[in-house]
Amino acid sequence: MSATQQPAQQPAQQPAGSPAPAADGGLSSKGLSAGTVGLVGAVVIGLSCIAPAYTMTAALGPTVSEVGYQVPALVLVGFVPMLLVALGYRELNRAMPDSGTTFTWATRAFGPWVGWMAGWGLVAATVLVLSNLAGIAVDFLFLLLAQVTGNPGLADLAGNTAVNVLVCLAFMAGATAVAYRDMQTTQRLQYGLVGFQLLVLVLFAGVALYRAATGEPGSEPVSLEWFDPTAVPSTAALAAGLSLSIFIFWGWDVTLTMNEETKDPDRTPGRAATVTVVVILTVYLLLAVSLLSFAGTAETGTGLGNPDLQDNAFAALAGPVLGPLGALVSLAVLTSSASSLQSTFVSPARTLLAMGHYGALPTWFAKVHPRFFTPGNATVAAAAVASAFYAVMRVVSENVLWDTITALGMMICFYYGATAFACVWYFRRQWFDSVRTAVLTLVCPLVGGVVLAVLFVTTLVDSTDPDYGSGSSVGGVGLVFLLGVGVLGLGAVLMVAQRLARPAFFRSETLRRSDSTTDLRPASTDREHA
Amino acid sequence: MHHEDDQGPPVLPRVAVGYTATDAGRSAVAAGARLARALGADLHLVLVVPDTARGAVVPPDPGYEAVLRSSAAAWLEEAAALVPAGVLASTRAVRAESAAEGLLEAAHEVGATHLVVGAGSERGLARFGVGTAASELLHSADLPVVVVPVLDDGARDAPGDGPGDAALSRVTVAVGTRPGADVLLEEGLALARAAGAPLRLVSLQVLDLPGRLDDDAVQDTADAHLRAVLDEARAAVPDALVEEALVVRGRDVTDAVGGLDWRPGEVVVVGSSRLAAPHRLFLGATAARLLRAVPVPVVVVPRTRPAGGPA
Repeated sequence: MSATQQPAQQPAQQPAGSPAPAADGGLSSKGLSAGTVGLVGAVVIGLSCIAPAYTMTAALGPTVSEVGYQVPALVLVGFVPMLLVALGYRELNRAMPDSGTTFTWATRAFGPWVGWMAGWGLVAATVLVLSNLAGIAVDFLFLLLAQVTGNPGLADLAGNTAVNVLVCLAFMAGATAVAYRDMQTTQRLQYGLVGFQLLVLVLFAGVALYRAATGEPGSEPVSLEWFDPTAVPSTAALAAGLSLSIFIFWGWDVTLTMNEETKDPDRTPGRAATVTVVVILTVYLLLAVSLLSFAGTAETGTGLGNPDLQDNAFAALAGPVLGPLGALVSLAVLTSSASSLQSTFVSPARTLLAMGHYGALPTWFAKVHPRFFTPGNATVAAAAVASAFYAVMRVVSENVLWDTITALGMMICFYYGATAFACVWYFRRQWFDSVRTAVLTLVCPLVGGVVLAVLFVTTLVDSTDPDYGSGSSVGGVGLVFLLGVGVLGLGAVLMVAQRLARPAFFRSETLRRSDSTTDLRPASTDREHA
Repeated sequence: MHHEDDQGPPVLPRVAVGYTATDAGRSAVAAGARLARALGADLHLVLVVPDTARGAVVPPDPGYEAVLRSSAAAWLEEAAALVPAGVLASTRAVRAESAAEGLLEAAHEVGATHLVVGAGSERGLARFGVGTAASELLHSADLPVVVVPVLDDGARDAPGDGPGDAALSRVTVAVGTRPGADVLLEEGLALARAAGAPLRLVSLQVLDLPGRLDDDAVQDTADAHLRAVLDEARAAVPDALVEEALVVRGRDVTDAVGGLDWRPGEVVVVGSSRLAAPHRLFLGATAARLLRAVPVPVVVVPRTRPAGGPA
C-alpha cells in the first residue's frame, strides 16, 4: 500500500499548497496518475473547454463586423498565435506544474509585480467569459422556451433587463454550486453532449449552405477569397478580428498540457490536440462559410452585419435556417455553455487559490474545501465578481455580450502574451541546448508573444474610439477601452493594496525568481519552508 | 507506511476512522480513539480524496493535484494531533470515486474491525443528518460501522489521557423486536468485556398504529413478546455484565428513545436490516431513526458474520 506513484516530475517543483513534503501524505496510486484519460476522453475534454457552439455564436457577429467576409481567413490565421503560445504553455506546465499557471510562471520568470498582473489578467479574462457565458445561456433559454411553446413573445423576455439579470444570476448561482461541490458530469453523458453539439452544428451549417446554394434571398455565393487574410480591409480590422479569433481557440491548449494523466503520455496529448484542432477548424470553417453564404453581411434583416444580431448570431439565424428544428441549435448552445461554465470556473478559482497561497492575495483565497476538495472560497469570489460585472454591464450597455467578448479578446492577448514571454525568459539559459528547445522555448513562444502583444496594444488604442465594437461609449471614450483599462487599473490598485498589507510576496519571499537551470539543481528550492 | 498485505492478519486490532477536516471528522476521531482504547486497538485515520480524473469536462491538472496532496497531508497531521496519548495512530490518504468506497478499501487493507465515521451534517435540529458517505456505508459495508453524532468542539467527547480513564462508560444494545440478535449481542458483549463497561439491553416498542393504542390485548401480546426477546437476550450473556434490561415505548423511535439516559462515553449497538445481503449492512428504518435520535455513537453491525472472519 505504500506504492505511491506520483507523476514523474522534475526535482525542484514545489507546487502551490505544499508546506513541506509530508512523508505520510502521499496519495496511493489508484486513479491518480497515469492511464486515466484516453484519446477520446482528452478530445472530449478539449471540445468541452472550447465549447464551439457557444464560442461561435458569441464571436461570429463581432468578427464579421470587423472583417466582413474574411472570417474564414481569420479563423485560419487566428489559430497560429494560439498554437505558438500553447507550445510554450506546455513547456512551462511540464517544468513547473502549479495550480497558479500563468501567475506562478510569470512570477518565477519576471518577479512578483509582472506575475501579479499576469495572474490578474487570467482571472479577469475568465471572469469576463463567465459572465458572457451566462448571458448567452439566458438568451438561449428564453429562445428555446419560445421555440418549444411556439410563443415568440417569450424570446423577447430576454431583452427585459430585470428578468435577464435575475435569470443570469440564477444560472451563475447554479454553476457556482456545481463548481463548489465538484459535481462532475459522467463521461458517457459528456460524450453524448459533445457529440450532439457537433452534429447539430454540422446540420446547421449544412442546411444553411444548401439553402444559400438554392437561392435563398440575401444569400451570397461562397468565394475562395473569403479565405484570404490579405483581403481584410485594414490592419486595425485585422488586429481586432485576430484578437477575437484567439478567443475561439481558447481552451484548446488543455489537450496539449494533459501529460501524465493520459494513458499514453508520449502520444495521446499530441494526437488529442491534433484531432481536437482538426475538428474545431472544420466546424468553425463550415459554420463561418455557410452562415456568411446564407445571411451575407448586410446590416439589415438576418445579415450578419446587422448590429442587432451581433451579440448572438445563432439565436438570430437558427430559425431562418432550420425552421422548427432551430430549437436544436438552442439546445446545443445551452449544453455547450453549461459544460464551458463548468470547466471555465476552474481556472480563475485555482489561480486565485495559488495567489492566496503565495501571499499575493489574502490567505482566505487559499482555502481548500475540506469536504468537496475544491478551491471553495476562490470559486465563490470569482462567481460573485462575474455576477456583479454582468449586472452592471447589462445596465450600462445594450450590447453587453458584444463588448465583453471584445474586451475578453484583449484580456486573453494580455495574459497569454505574458505567459509566452515568461516561457521565453524562464528557459533563457536553455534556448540553445537543442533544436527542440530553440523552437519550443524561444522561437514559438517569442513569435506568439509578440503577435499577442501587438494585438493587445492595437486593440487597446483602437478601442478608445467611441464607435469601436458595438459603439457603446462612456464620456466619449469607447466602452471596450474603458473595460480593458478599468480592469487592468483595478488590478494595479489591488496589487498595491496587497503590497501594503502583506509585503512578503512582493519581496519575493514566497515565490522566488528563477530560471529553468537553477530549478534543475536538486539543492535549490524556490520557496520558504515556513 | 506498513507492509502487511501478504503477512496475514495484523497483530493488533485496528479501528479505521474516516476523516474530513470538519466537525464531523473531528468527532469521528474522538469517538474512534475511545473505541480503540477500549479494544486495545490501533487507530488508522483515513482521508479520502475524490478522484478528480473522473470528470469528462474539467481537464486534469497536476498542479492542483499537488495542492490536494499537500492539503490532505496537512489535514491528516491535524487529525493525528487530535488522538490522545496512549493510542497509536497511523494516517493515510486514499483516492477513490466515492468516500464510502475509499474508506471500505482502506479499512480492509489494514484489517480493521470497525469503521468510524462522522454523521456528516451538523446543521438543523436533528443530531444525525447522516451524510452521503455514512449513508452509503450503512447500506454496503461488511464490517461494523460506527456513526458518530457531530458535536461542537467544546462538547466533543474524547477520552482523557489518564490511564485510568474508562474508554467506554457503557454499552447499550438495541435488541430489536425479533429473536436471533445473537451477532448483535456478541458485538455488544465483546465491546463491554474489552472496555470493562456494563451492558444495557434495550428493546424498543413503537406504537405507530393509533388504532392499536387502545387495544389492550394487542398491547399485551406485543409486550409479552418483547419481554421474551429481552429475556432470551439476557439469558445469552453473563448476568454480572448486565446493568439493566428494559423495554421502552413511544409513539415513534425518537419518542421511545427520549426516555433513556445516556452517559458520556457510551455507545449503542444496533443491527442492520434483515433485508441486507449476507454479511453486509443494510440500514433498516428503525435503525435509521435510532441514528437520528441518539446522542452517542451508534455501532451498526451486520446481521451475520462471514465464515472465518473476525469474531
